Order: sequence, then C-alpha cells, then structure tokens
Amino acid sequence: MEGLKFSKTHEWVKVEGDEATVGLTDFAQKELGDIVYAEPEPVGTHVEVEDIIGTVESVKAASDLFAPVSGEIVEANEEIGDEPEMINQAPWDTWFVKIRMADPSELDELLDKDAYDAFCEEEGA
Amino acid sequence: MKKTPLFDRHVALGARMVDYAGWNMPVQYAGIKEEIAAVRKKTGIFDVSHMGEIRVSGQGAGEFLNWLLTRRVTGKKPDQITYAILSAADGGTVDDLLVYTMGEEDYMLVVNAANKDKDLVHIRESLNSYQTAFKDRQPAIAIVDESDLYGQIAVQGPGSLDCMLEAAGRLGLDKEQEEKLKGLKRFHEMTVELEGEDRNMIISRTGYTGENGYELYVPASRTAAFWDIFIEAGVEPCGLGSRDTLRLEAGMPLYGHEMSPDINALEGGMSFFVDLDHEFQGMVMKDKVTRRQLALVSDTKAIPREGYEVHVQGKKAGVITSGTFSPTLDKGIAFALVDLDTPEAEKVEVLVRKNLQPFSVVQPPFVGK
Repeated sequence: MEGLKFSKTHEWVKVEGDEATVGLTDFAQKELGDIVYAEPEPVGTHVEVEDIIGTVESVKAASDLFAPVSGEIVEANEEIGDEPEMINQAPWDTWFVKIRMADPSELDELLDKDAYDAFCEEEGA
Repeated sequence: MKKTPLFDRHVALGARMVDYAGWNMPVQYAGIKEEIAAVRKKTGIFDVSHMGEIRVSGQGAGEFLNWLLTRRVTGKKPDQITYAILSAADGGTVDDLLVYTMGEEDYMLVVNAANKDKDLVHIRESLNSYQTAFKDRQPAIAIVDESDLYGQIAVQGPGSLDCMLEAAGRLGLDKEQEEKLKGLKRFHEMTVELEGEDRNMIISRTGYTGENGYELYVPASRTAAFWDIFIEAGVEPCGLGSRDTLRLEAGMPLYGHEMSPDINALEGGMSFFVDLDHEFQGMVMKDKVTRRQLALVSDTKAIPREGYEVHVQGKKAGVITSGTFSPTLDKGIAFALVDLDTPEAEKVEVLVRKNLQPFSVVQPPFVGK
C-alpha cells in the first residue's frame, strides 16, 4: 500500500510512469459484500475524472468504479470477470484498468493513505 | 428505529444492521453467500420479529375474512394455514399474508412489517364497507394489533426438523408435542404452552426460503432465550439480505415488487391463490389483468436488477420486478412483468446497463421444485 493514492469513491491508484493502475479498496469490498460479477470498461475507452471505468456487482446490488484520473484505458483486467471474489480476498492485488494519464497533476487531487483512512472513518460513522 | 427482542443478539454477533421498514434489522452476519449456502444445505435462522400479527376475532370473523381476502379462510382444518392476498376495492394489492386459525371465529393474520399499520387501517375500513354492503349480517368483530406480543424466529433448511427436535425439550415441547412436530404437515401449525406465559407459542411449518422449515411465534420476552438455543446448537444466523435472495430463488413474491397497489394478485403470478368463485373485495381484478409475470434466468454472466427493461422479439415488453444473482445457481435470476399481449417466447432480452443480454424464460421456482 506504499505510495498509493485514493479517491473518495474508494478506488486505489498506483502510478508507474504515465500509467495509473486502478483497483477497489479494502473498505469498498467490505461495504459491497460478496462480489459475484466484475467487468472493466474496454481498452481504448477515453475517460474524464469520475467517468465509469468498470462495474462490480454483489449478490444484491450493482456498483460502478469511477476514473480517479482522466486518460485512455490501455489495459483492462479481462480475468477479473472469472474470479470476482478475488476483489474481496485480495483487494490491493486485484486491478481493474490501467489508464495512460492525460494530466498527471490530477493526482494531486487524490488522497494519501492517512487522508483516505480518515475519510473512511467519517463515512463509516 | 424499532428494535426486535433480538437486537442485542445481532449486535453481539457482529451483524451489519440496517433500517428496514423502521426496524433496526440485521442484513447479514457472516456474509450473504455463506448464509444462503447454510439454508440450502443445513439450517439457518432468521429474526422475523418485525412481521405484524393482527388478530381478527368474534362472531362473523370467518365470513368477513372470506370477503376480505382472495381466498376463503373458512372450511379449512383448524390447524391449517392459508396464504392469501389482501386487496383494495379496485383490485390493487394491499399486502400478502398468512392466516392462522386460532380457534372458533378467531384468526391471526401475519403481515409484512412495512405494511402493518396500513393493513390495520385497511381492514378496519373494509369492515365498515362490509357491514354497509351486507346489512343482514351482524358481525361482532374485534381487530387487534398483537405484533408487540410476539417475537418470531424462522428456522429454515433441510436440517431444520432435526434441529427443532434437538431443541424441542428446551423450547417447552413435551414428548407428545415432539411427535406432533414430526408429523406436522406444510402449512399447518401447532401450539405449545409455555410455563409462566399467558400466551402460547405457535410453531408453523412455513417459510420464505423454499426449503423445509418452521416459524416460531414466541411470546416476546422468551424470544432471545429461544434464539440462543439455536445459536448454541451451531445454526447459522441469517439476515434480510440472504432472505430476499432465498425467496426469489424459491420463486416467491415480495410485496412492493411482484404485487403492489398498481399490480394486482393475478398480474403478480398469484392466480392459484385467487378464488374467483367466491365474492371478495377487489375481485374486479379479473377485469384488470393487462400484464403477466415471467421468470427469467440469465444466459450469460449479466445480472438482472429491478427496473431493467425486458425486450421480447425486438420490442420493449416490460420491466424486471425483482432481480438478483443466485449463488445457488451461479446465475442471475429475475421476475419480470410484461404486457399481456407479449408473444410467448423461450428467449427474451434484458437491458443491462447499455447492452441487451439474453435470458431464458423458465417455470418457477428457480431452485427446488
């Protein structure tokens, strides 16, 4: 979890060069419960911040993932649909999409770990 | 929010709690998938104390209820339970409920928690209408809300009878009552006197999961002690989340989804529970059937959800009224309400996010027979 950034919609972001890898946080998977369906948006999709980059579904409800940064989806985790429960079991190791960032300064708008943890505490209250 | 007699137990078990119809209820404990598997393979217990109990008794009560409901309650065996729909004069659905015969001209209606207050008003107003319509009948009926007198525990699963028999002594059953429990038929009930209580416990072989099961109506102050007996025996506590998926897997309707003021009992797939050969309030529904119900199973990984459009042969035909992922089938399942003139089809399409996905039409139940 070192060096990760976080969105207020509970995505984690790992930056390598101009690529941002995005997944769902542990807080999010706990809120969702058993995840039974997962689908990333396709490679080639251009997204603005907060555009949909994927969908997860628990037994009871569907939920979207939102782009923490704008750019182009250059990789999508095709295997996530076959093993959606991995999001519950290993949220930090299960990624959805990799976005080639259009504007890396957008990362400054995201939360660091301490700020995100504090944000989650307030939400949980 | 109101609390059932089991509130502290849920919190102690680490349940995720939610406001359901004004009640502070457990939505899940270990997790929905685990709880569903427990009910399908072993035994699970549910706190259903939030359900309403309305006592309708007095001279003419049976005849009144016959008129009030889509089916007669009279002419049944004294321990027999009747599932019926409570309808408005225009045929719309007010609630679905179970009727327990407590004695001569003495009935207990078990109603949905969310509708109890509304049901009481409806039943009382209906009694006025009834007396106006049938001036020759002189009923002397009391309608009493007994909901606070009872807690309720549902014991559900293939292991539920064994579980009940194990616990029988501690639940206050004597040997004769244990034998009676063994022979209890579905949709029948028995009563058990409890020492120190002026109200009997009712045990019915009923449930909302499609598995074998028993529902215990317990004098409120004894509910927690009886819950503990099952938990200590290793029975899985199950919440409202699993309950809703289990009932849909079993092909059972939920008020507000398959039936509502806008969806009458016939449109809601309940024609088996509507006896048009007797006079009842709302029987005009037979002239107001403009839609019918379909049961659908996903042909792909797509999951159907309430409100999604259903398309048949290229045209929008209706909507999903209840949809979920069924862990038991590892597939999405749903009930849909489509226009009456929709062509018969084995395959339909459901608009899931922006794509039409293929679904197969099946005969309910989705799980079990």
